[in-house]
Amino acid sequence: MNSDPVRSSLGRPDRSSLGYASLRAERLAARPLESRRLVIVTGKGGTGKTAVAAALALGAAATGRRVLVAAVDPDARLAALLGPRPAPLGYEPARVRENVWVCHIEPFEALGEYLGLQLRTRRLVDPVLRQRAFRQLLLASPGWRELITLGKVWHLEQLRDGARPRYDLIVVDAPATGHGLAFLNVPRVVASAVRTGPLRHQTERVEALIEDHARTLLLPVALAEELPVRETVELVTRARELGVALDRVVVNAVQEPPYPDDLADLDRRLAALPDDAPLGELPPPRVLAACGAMLSARAELNRRYVAQLAEQTGLPTATLPYLRDGLRGPDDAAQLSAALLAPLGAPA
Amino acid sequence: MTLPALERRVVVCVGCGGVGKTTVAAAIALEAARAGRRALVLTIDPARRLADALGVESLGNQPEPLPREALTALGVPAEGSLSALMLDMKRTFDDLVARFAESDAARDRVLANPIYRHVSDALAGSVEYSAMEKVYELSRSDAYDTLVVDTPPSQHALDFLDAPERLLEFLDSRLVQLWIHPAMAAGRLGFRWFGWGSRRALGLIERITGIGFLEDVSEFLMAFEHMSEGFRARAREVRALMRGPEAAFVLVASPESGSVEQAQRFLERLEAGDVRVAGIVANRVRVWPNGSPAGVEATDPTDAARLAHALAEQEGESFPAARAARAAIDAAARYAALVRRDATALAALREHAEKRGSFFRVVPELFDDVHDLSSLERIASSLAQRTHTAEDSMTATREPGANRRERRGTASA
Repeated sequence: MNSDPVRSSLGRPDRSSLGYASLRAERLAARPLESRRLVIVTGKGGTGKTAVAAALALGAAATGRRVLVAAVDPDARLAALLGPRPAPLGYEPARVRENVWVCHIEPFEALGEYLGLQLRTRRLVDPVLRQRAFRQLLLASPGWRELITLGKVWHLEQLRDGARPRYDLIVVDAPATGHGLAFLNVPRVVASAVRTGPLRHQTERVEALIEDHARTLLLPVALAEELPVRETVELVTRARELGVALDRVVVNAVQEPPYPDDLADLDRRLAALPDDAPLGELPPPRVLAACGAMLSARAELNRRYVAQLAEQTGLPTATLPYLRDGLRGPDDAAQLSAALLAPLGAPA
Repeated sequence: MTLPALERRVVVCVGCGGVGKTTVAAAIALEAARAGRRALVLTIDPARRLADALGVESLGNQPEPLPREALTALGVPAEGSLSALMLDMKRTFDDLVARFAESDAARDRVLANPIYRHVSDALAGSVEYSAMEKVYELSRSDAYDTLVVDTPPSQHALDFLDAPERLLEFLDSRLVQLWIHPAMAAGRLGFRWFGWGSRRALGLIERITGIGFLEDVSEFLMAFEHMSEGFRARAREVRALMRGPEAAFVLVASPESGSVEQAQRFLERLEAGDVRVAGIVANRVRVWPNGSPAGVEATDPTDAARLAHALAEQEGESFPAARAARAAIDAAARYAALVRRDATALAALREHAEKRGSFFRVVPELFDDVHDLSSLERIASSLAQRTHTAEDSMTATREPGANRRERRGTASA
């Protein structure tokens, strides 16, 4: 929003007036997903952002990159999707297959680690962190979890083995959209509240990473349905205001029409057949027609919302096929990787 | 009564996000109105969708009645009515502070406190608490027979129900007490060290982080302390209402992958918390148009030839009848697989309901988003098990398909 007092009070440029420039920067930044340093996957709950994070990780790992999937909300399915080695989702990155590690950024662990690093001891920190009331107090404190989580992401990005980054790509399975927006806004809010000191300094570094179009990309995941589309449009608008790079919207679980194009109205023709047409064991024509009509309607609804999403965000869409049985394991995730990593603009 | 839960005063719809809880809650309220009750649906969904579906201008923190003509058209008798309200969590919580504050000055001090402004959304489940509070307030008035509540999508099933307890627990917690009565707490065994240690650590954290919020927190808690008796009494009453015989919990689930597992975990948590679930509503389920989809997947080639023949007879020589017959059968098989998949996915929930003697209702998938009262009415009919066949939904399905055909026609012309 234009009237962001935070930004103006800090003498920052008001990015919303640079809308065109940032759009252009987005285009320039469009390049293969797997070649980023940090991809933040977000979307409304139930859109399958965890599946997309897993698919991206597997696809990138297949190109030889070392990938870390960092989950903000613990999702037990994540490790199973990445397989084959079952690993509990813990704070320390665990290797689940060649080139793939997974971890859960638990905020209290991250705070303990952070404070321990600052104080050079955890002796005083740990007893306090274990107190229930203290935890509740912190949980109630605005922005704290988001900040420490992003701080940990920054820390993971900084890790080096020799000269080489420990992880070539970090995929963040971020919180659902509502929180996802707050998530990215936090460094700025903190920067406004904290004028000096180490926290201010660290927050600025986190903010710089989030806004670095060369390293970081926000990957919104939507479903081709009314509410997810609306939320995704809001997310994209907000992300642009925040100056985060975007290059596509992923639309998950898109269903295909049932009939070939030249027979698109087959359901109507079937419905016109006499009900007692001798079809042997087949269901009566009206039932055959109903099946086609229902599948057509769903596919049409999906098509309409994908188009709406593309129009309202001004971003290309990457559509992923609907998997009837959901995502059961690495094989299904690999099926999505192909669609996800296909060059933008290529036919799905 | 068509849906057993309607006999209760308060119906709470719980479930994960994205399963259509808001819509189901509205449909349950409509069904209550059709049974001659004065029903109110409370939603927390800020989208305009429910207001649109209900045909009212907008929803606010006060009940908005639906126009009588619309209700009559939906078969709501004269004694029944339907209103909707969108919960403004923040306002509800502010009202609560205003009610329990000992003076106007105390109220203003809390409302103006920066910590309150931030945490009234997050403090120990106050979002859920405000919703409960509003429900309680309305349940004490005589204006409505049935209150249907759409709960916020929470990760933990009991967040909503436990909100009063968590608020109390927070107020009673040692740290908070320590803040408020440091001298008193210090006298107790073990508290001396605790007080010193945590204060010192907090001081360190404050120094490192540079955040000066601890002062605000103290002030907030002090101001809040004076109100806590009122809160406490109120929370006990809210708890009694929700766990008592006047309330019924309805779990809303969808057959999509992942959603059923989440619903099961939800159920387990509810039952572990001594909440009896009155029934389960499976929303957006793909159902077969007539009976069960036997034999569609393994079609006899001669049957395919019969269908091709029938199509050729109707459509004429130039129509690719054999290919069309194949496409029709493939589509039916694809749909049949989806129907079976949904039935299998829901089997565990269905069994659970049967075992507990609670109801289980299937709401077929609608092929357009719920935008109007007639689609809400179709959902209500499924809940009440009035026969509304899939062929009816097929008629409703026609529209979008027809549009597409027109567009395609234009494009090719």
